[in-house]
Amino acid sequence: MPDNDHIRRLLSAIALQNDQRAYKELFLLLYKPLKQFAYSILKSGEEAEELVSDVFIRIWQKKDKLTTIESPLFYFYTTAKNLAITRLNKQKRKVNLSPEDWLVQMNSVYDPEQLMMTEEMLRQIKNAINELPPRCRLVFKLIKEDGLRYKQTAELLQLSVKTVEAQMAIALRRIAKCMHFDLKPALQQHPAIKNN
Amino acid sequence: MSQEKFWVLLSKKLTGEASGEELEELQTLVAENPEWQYAIQNLGDLWKQQAPEDTMQAEDAYLLHLHRMTEMNIPFGDSFPELPRITGKKKTRKWYWAAAAAVVAIIITTAFLGVGKVFSKSSEKPSAKQENEISTRKGSKSEIKLPDGSVVWLNGGSKLTYTKEYGQQTREVTLTGEGYFDVVKMSDKPFIIHTTNINIKVLGTAFNVKAYPEDQQTETSLIRGSIEVTIKNRPKDKIILSPNEKLLVYNVQAKNNSEYSPQKEIAEKAPMVAIRQLTYQDNDSIAVETSWTSNKLSFKNELFADVAKKMERWYNVNFEFENKSKENLLMYGTFTSETLQEALEALVFSFGFRYRMENSKVIIY
Repeated sequence: MPDNDHIRRLLSAIALQNDQRAYKELFLLLYKPLKQFAYSILKSGEEAEELVSDVFIRIWQKKDKLTTIESPLFYFYTTAKNLAITRLNKQKRKVNLSPEDWLVQMNSVYDPEQLMMTEEMLRQIKNAINELPPRCRLVFKLIKEDGLRYKQTAELLQLSVKTVEAQMAIALRRIAKCMHFDLKPALQQHPAIKNN
Repeated sequence: MSQEKFWVLLSKKLTGEASGEELEELQTLVAENPEWQYAIQNLGDLWKQQAPEDTMQAEDAYLLHLHRMTEMNIPFGDSFPELPRITGKKKTRKWYWAAAAAVVAIIITTAFLGVGKVFSKSSEKPSAKQENEISTRKGSKSEIKLPDGSVVWLNGGSKLTYTKEYGQQTREVTLTGEGYFDVVKMSDKPFIIHTTNINIKVLGTAFNVKAYPEDQQTETSLIRGSIEVTIKNRPKDKIILSPNEKLLVYNVQAKNNSEYSPQKEIAEKAPMVAIRQLTYQDNDSIAVETSWTSNKLSFKNELFADVAKKMERWYNVNFEFENKSKENLLMYGTFTSETLQEALEALVFSFGFRYRMENSKVIIY
């Protein structure tokens, strides 16, 4: 998962030393997640690819200002989102303007050999993730796979932090259900429930 | 304490968002409900797993990205050292950039002319450019995805080469043997295939090229789209093919022995260049010419001599005709999973000849 400190180091190498290798590394690091995010909005692989290229053209053109970016990962996603919305508006496409409709692809591949779970369980987990409602899935993907913080995700998707918390809880509960772990008996014994 | 609170706290813990207070709260919850420990453990393990890194696609995208920057005249590259700041003279600076961009454009073009030369003379001197070379042995096939997404199926005993710069300015490959091409459309970058006798220029299409050096002819079969073929010794003639047509070009330097051979007779009677319709077997929608891509060895009204060549590449064996008259048998048939033995038996049954095996050699008599 891309992390902010690493990205910050790459950005300052680009800004201060004009470092092309750092630029390439950054591109390789963020290409896939940014393209997936852009794709969820634009629904076109070609356009999503072009959009990532546009984001990186900006990075190269604004080299001098790169060191002033506070949270780089968030900067990349916001830029991608803004460019994508601009594109939709230019094409007069009225669809997909709301984050509610942004259906994102997940890329987690879970290896049963490293987990204490059966292959069947993992298949169910994969299904559960794929069947999450679009907004829930996007929140889960941005936080779990792309490394955004709750607050950043909320701001990016114009949600409250509470909503992000709730979406994450839903995703987690659905995944845990596939681990054949039934919470009901536990809850029934719980004093708080008994008192109800 | 609601069940939802548990999930909210657990997800915050996993993502590192939980405060000290919240962690304590979660701990208390779990202490009261030890059953939850199982979910915490498994979710924690799941969280640590990362998606496998696959930079192949990103590498390709990066090349296209650099290409886009060049097209947009955005300076990038070693030839652009950081310029000294010229304060208050913005115009001068802009001019400097434009001039520098022009220089780079010229350098790039020259470099590619160089590649073109290397291509046409590749047999004479080893190329100075870095090349990717993919080759298949007889009896095996291979699928290659080129950096631009175009796909090439390589039949047995064939070779495809392309430079590291493929896709930046041009898309050029060299083929020896047989390949099926599915080319991604890029109107500004035609796709060019060089073979010994012909060059094929396409914009975006699917077609088959058969150019084995030992064959009497080079065969280009078009499935869809349109392609332009130029013959090396007749550079002025351009032949445009339409879908479902194939172009046959008889190899000039094919060995010229005075012995009687049916192929030679055909070569003499036939024009140097011919356009034919693709051949279809009854009840098969795939043309015989491209059937190998769906794992079929297929032929219709072909001389045994030609069928033998196909079988040599398919089964990785050699054929020898002790009885030359058998070379002229006209054959049709389709093989999929048959062994060499089974295929030969079927041909013997239908067309009447005898054969014996010596090591990996099939002798027809």
